[in-house]
Amino acid sequence: MVFTNAVRAIAHKELSDKLKSKWVLVIAAGFAALTIVISYFGGATAGVAGFRSIDATIASLTSLVTYFIPILALTLGGGIIADERDKGTLEIYLSSPISIGEFIMGKFFGLAIALAISTLVGLGISGAILLINLGFGAIGSYSIFMLNSVVLGLIFLSVSFLVSILFNERARVIAFTVFLWLFFAVLYDLGLVGLLIITKGTVGNEIFSTLLTLNPVDVYRILNFLSIGELKVFLGLASVELPSYMKTPVLWAVSLLWVVLPLIASYRLFKRRYLA
Amino acid sequence: MLELSEISKNFGDVKAVDSVSLSIKEGEMLGLVGPNGSGKSTLLKIMLGITRPSSGKVLFSGKELAEKDWKEIRKKIGYMPERVNFYDNLTGKETIELFAKIKGGDLGNVPGLLKKVGLENAVDRRVGGYSKGMRQRLNLAQALSNDPDFLVLDEPTSGLDPVGTKEFYNILDDVRTRKKLTVILSSHILAEIEDKIDRVAVLKAGALRAVGSLEELYSGFNLPLKISIALKEKNGTLEEILKREGAKEIGYKDGHLTASIQREDKLRLLSAVMEKKESFVDLSIREPNLEEVFFGIH
Repeated sequence: MVFTNAVRAIAHKELSDKLKSKWVLVIAAGFAALTIVISYFGGATAGVAGFRSIDATIASLTSLVTYFIPILALTLGGGIIADERDKGTLEIYLSSPISIGEFIMGKFFGLAIALAISTLVGLGISGAILLINLGFGAIGSYSIFMLNSVVLGLIFLSVSFLVSILFNERARVIAFTVFLWLFFAVLYDLGLVGLLIITKGTVGNEIFSTLLTLNPVDVYRILNFLSIGELKVFLGLASVELPSYMKTPVLWAVSLLWVVLPLIASYRLFKRRYLA
Repeated sequence: MLELSEISKNFGDVKAVDSVSLSIKEGEMLGLVGPNGSGKSTLLKIMLGITRPSSGKVLFSGKELAEKDWKEIRKKIGYMPERVNFYDNLTGKETIELFAKIKGGDLGNVPGLLKKVGLENAVDRRVGGYSKGMRQRLNLAQALSNDPDFLVLDEPTSGLDPVGTKEFYNILDDVRTRKKLTVILSSHILAEIEDKIDRVAVLKAGALRAVGSLEELYSGFNLPLKISIALKEKNGTLEEILKREGAKEIGYKDGHLTASIQREDKLRLLSAVMEKKESFVDLSIREPNLEEVFFGIH
């Protein structure tokens, strides 16, 4: 079912929309500009300007990505239902000989490729400049950082599909998207810190680490932390000792679940809501 | 071909469709008429399998369809929703190619299809620049893009001017002369479709109030004929004759004497009126149109 003609046609339409509208170009350029500025001025608070070590730079860029990519992905996929309904094309899709799974997968693949291209090109440009200045020894860490960033985008794209189907009116989708972004990028970690303070640190490492995996932004942070090693302090994880099972493959599996589960929920909800 | 058996659909407390049973024969053109909110669109969506009925059965060729069967059936269905704007950034050709791919249609037929609906000079123009009429033609083209046997048209001329409406039906007639198509057409503009359909189904408040050919409905409801006599000058003689012969709703309008007469009184009344033929210049008797049948039911 995954790559049927219908899936390819819908994915191609979504991707070419984003290419034609220059969305991919603008986002990639914006990404490149922001990451170059942050890479160069990341140490400005310490009175230093210039390219620092690749690890410190990845730590700075991680903070940028955790704000930028979720909101980008959430807004990208938030309109998949509202847009089609407003245009009147949703009923054409529903009456066509395709399954709901094909419709959702076509949309997801098309938008995922657009998001991945803009992320890889944007981060790739700044990465190339960094590596030229700092040496190519860090190409592995930087590549993993780029890959993690793409996966973070896919997670929030998947979540945005669920939001789009849950709140099929554009205004409600936008409102909930902003709330979700705030929740995952800011409020969730504040809540965890609050939990630590209230419980005076008695919450076990296992529970705390599990709670971290419930937020894909934290999963992303930890993945980057694991790839660069010694920069807990930059990632705000200085007080946390990760349990031994929390290795990169486990976190990638968690990330994969974060991509797949919202899509499955979207499929089920779509079926219930639109074939009711 | 398609049979609806005791179909009902509730949205909360609202009964959108109420125990509708209806058969659609292969190759016929059925008009589904009723005022706004009468349940026409919901019934069409149930026929397409995109809305599940609360109760009742949808049978295709006598078989109740499971979820996987719908995918196969839809390969031969073309659906034209009431309002579609399409994608402003795609050209007409790209739009039909997209839907042809999705529906399993032949991409080689797309240029011919666009020509058939009269868009051959706009195939490479973006749909954002299309008029309402052009979008409706494009909508018909997408409905035909999988070469369907069964066409479902939901208020297809909504928003079109009279010229656009006429052109639309000319295109549809042309398609039907080339291929045997079963068509279901919903409309609340009754006069617009009465000379195009084989049978009509009348919906009111979700319930099927009448179904049959126009002749069956006319005779079944025994609606009065309308007589109009163009007078040389106003006089009471003809009015007296009409009253005597049982005419109703007698009145004068723009130099015409008008009245309603029962079908069985027609010949007797005509004979009586013709005895005074020196007092009028013209006479016409009009059959009730579908709209009158429709409102007669209400």
